[in-house]
Amino acid sequence: MIEHLPAMRAFAMSLTRNPATADDLVQDTIVKAWSNFDRFQPGTNLRAWLFTILRNTYYSLYRKRRREVEDPEGQMAGAISEKPAHDGHLVMTDFREAFAQLSDEQREVLILVGAEGFSYEDAAEMCGCAVGTVKSRTNRARKRLAELMHLDEDEGLEMTDAATLAVVQGNPAA
Amino acid sequence: MNQQIDDNLRRVYSDASSEPVPERFTKLLEQLRQQEQGARAEDQDEDHRAASGDDDH
Repeated sequence: MIEHLPAMRAFAMSLTRNPATADDLVQDTIVKAWSNFDRFQPGTNLRAWLFTILRNTYYSLYRKRRREVEDPEGQMAGAISEKPAHDGHLVMTDFREAFAQLSDEQREVLILVGAEGFSYEDAAEMCGCAVGTVKSRTNRARKRLAELMHLDEDEGLEMTDAATLAVVQGNPAA
Repeated sequence: MNQQIDDNLRRVYSDASSEPVPERFTKLLEQLRQQEQGARAEDQDEDHRAASGDDDH
């Protein structure tokens, strides 16, 4: 399990957008996974199984709790209203801010499909929804991200400037 | 465009997932492991008592 912990923390962070809450969520996930390990089918994808427990725990326990204490959409809305400067670092910051504004479900599919590289079928199983739902959700999430970052097809090319390209290529996904 | 979004996504995500695991979690896993070993040892004791003379332990 320990080899999946860094990814679980990153996924939890994407969902909760708060480091302390993310680690609480990971802790709950570890305990649940451990006590239900007899339900894990050997030979299947352990990371997918752990991610499923994590996201189910998030939706059943954490989402409601978070909504009661903050309003991230409202708080963040003003922060990215200005057109981003096109510099590698700033683009990355813009990206994080834009990403944080997506809905929980949109962030979830982008991490599962875009960052982790799970198939639409696997992601659908993990999210407990139809494959078509995952596909359309992923497409909407990407479109929304592009809008939030004020990207259109031409401007999009500027994201591949040398600095951004260097860090992307230097840090392949785990 | 989607490729660029995924590239950014992976970059941000791999930053997050390359952070070292806090001690909190290594300790928790160790604790769970010990609990399990404790429970297993008890089971084995019971097995022993149930089938004394059995030497496969």
